[in-house]
Amino acid sequence: MRVSKKYGVIMALGIVVIVGIAAVPAPANEYKNLKVLPKDISTKDLSRIMIDDFEDGLGVSCGFCHAEEKDSHKLDYASDEKPEKEIARLMMKMTLDVNEKYFQTTHPMIGDSTLSITCITCHRGQPRPGDTE
Amino acid sequence: MKNENYISVDKNDDGIDRAGFLKCMAWAGTGLFCMMSGGVMKSYGMSQLIDKNIGLLKKGLMLPKADFTFAQISDSHIGFNKPANPDVVGTLQAAIGKINAMPVAPSFILHTGDLSHLAQADEFDTLDQEMKSAKTGKIFYVPGEHDVLNDNGKQYLQRYGKDTKGDGWYSFDYNGVHFIGLVNVVNTAEGGLGVLGNEQLEWLQKDVKGLSSSTPIVVFAHIPLWAIYPQWGWGTRDSEQALSYLKRFGSVSVLNGHIHQTLQKVEGNITFHTATSTAFPQPQPGAAPAAGPMKVPAEQLRTLLGVTSVDYVEHNHTLAVTDTPLVIANK
Repeated sequence: MRVSKKYGVIMALGIVVIVGIAAVPAPANEYKNLKVLPKDISTKDLSRIMIDDFEDGLGVSCGFCHAEEKDSHKLDYASDEKPEKEIARLMMKMTLDVNEKYFQTTHPMIGDSTLSITCITCHRGQPRPGDTE
Repeated sequence: MKNENYISVDKNDDGIDRAGFLKCMAWAGTGLFCMMSGGVMKSYGMSQLIDKNIGLLKKGLMLPKADFTFAQISDSHIGFNKPANPDVVGTLQAAIGKINAMPVAPSFILHTGDLSHLAQADEFDTLDQEMKSAKTGKIFYVPGEHDVLNDNGKQYLQRYGKDTKGDGWYSFDYNGVHFIGLVNVVNTAEGGLGVLGNEQLEWLQKDVKGLSSSTPIVVFAHIPLWAIYPQWGWGTRDSEQALSYLKRFGSVSVLNGHIHQTLQKVEGNITFHTATSTAFPQPQPGAAPAAGPMKVPAEQLRTLLGVTSVDYVEHNHTLAVTDTPLVIANK
């Protein structure tokens, strides 16, 4: 009888812990102005898109699309001040549409390495496709 | 006739087969081994010290006497997993293995940035874990632009910024040599050029103000402090001002990473080095549409990762650069 009481207490504590964990919301990212990319995107997925699709795909650095903070050279990632950022959004939408419409990809996501068409398909390391140095 | 240089299986259409990758990765993971002697720095690429057939120190090597030695490694990009090198942890381990195989353990290691590829906690954790196996007194870091993604370097500072100023810059003295770690990746300029910024420049001016002109200076930062190829962001916009504070010193060595290849330049009293990456090569300046991880036929990789040695000889208050082979014993 004492043994079953002990197990009962352990089970109850376990349930409390599990319920407690489930009740804690997943930590939200701090990104404030995502319009095409998922709002709950992880920092890892977002960073990989920025590096693989934009930095390597277009041969640019962060400041190509992101404006600087006022009175500083640090980047204000949420700012829409630079027109290149809105163009990047349009390009991402176009890329998703092309994959969905012409390559029958269901729910295409930027950063998915299995996509038929990605930024680098046309850009080939250049900010504007077809540019030659 | 069979030519072992040909790639027989190229599944990924990237010009690299498994055998070629492994063969060439024996050359990757290189770093720089530096010796200070009487305020004069001599540096050796670690690939020169290692017998590529056995992966160990060349037989009969005898290093010249030095006051102390230190090693530089750079651009580990932990988290990178593309065909240019799907095993960046393995090549970092190879670099550390080469350091540990040195006949004299370096007093410390300088890591000149891009520790991680995506500035993720698990990437930094892996880097830290691997660096623990390095036989050295201490490891000094400066961040690369990959280490400050998304948060302007907050996480980097929490991990590596103890006792540093601003975005992580600092200086220290060792055996009469003044070392200065600069940060030029948190602020960026158009085109990806590095920026030091006014606050750091003011600090630098004050930091060296009280030093005697005979004090040997070693500066280390991620993005090169000389304009290697500004079109690709391979330079630092306000580096000239920083270097102007160092002109009065007799011996100044500047160590950088970022471009994943060894380049050297001497300008007056200042000698510039850039280090190879422990992760993947990048194209030579202007040799490709853009900078970035380079997938090349296996046999080219060996050439791209090859390094040369430089001997600094102080003479009549100037520095001369000459190629110096390592001393071979019993020859």
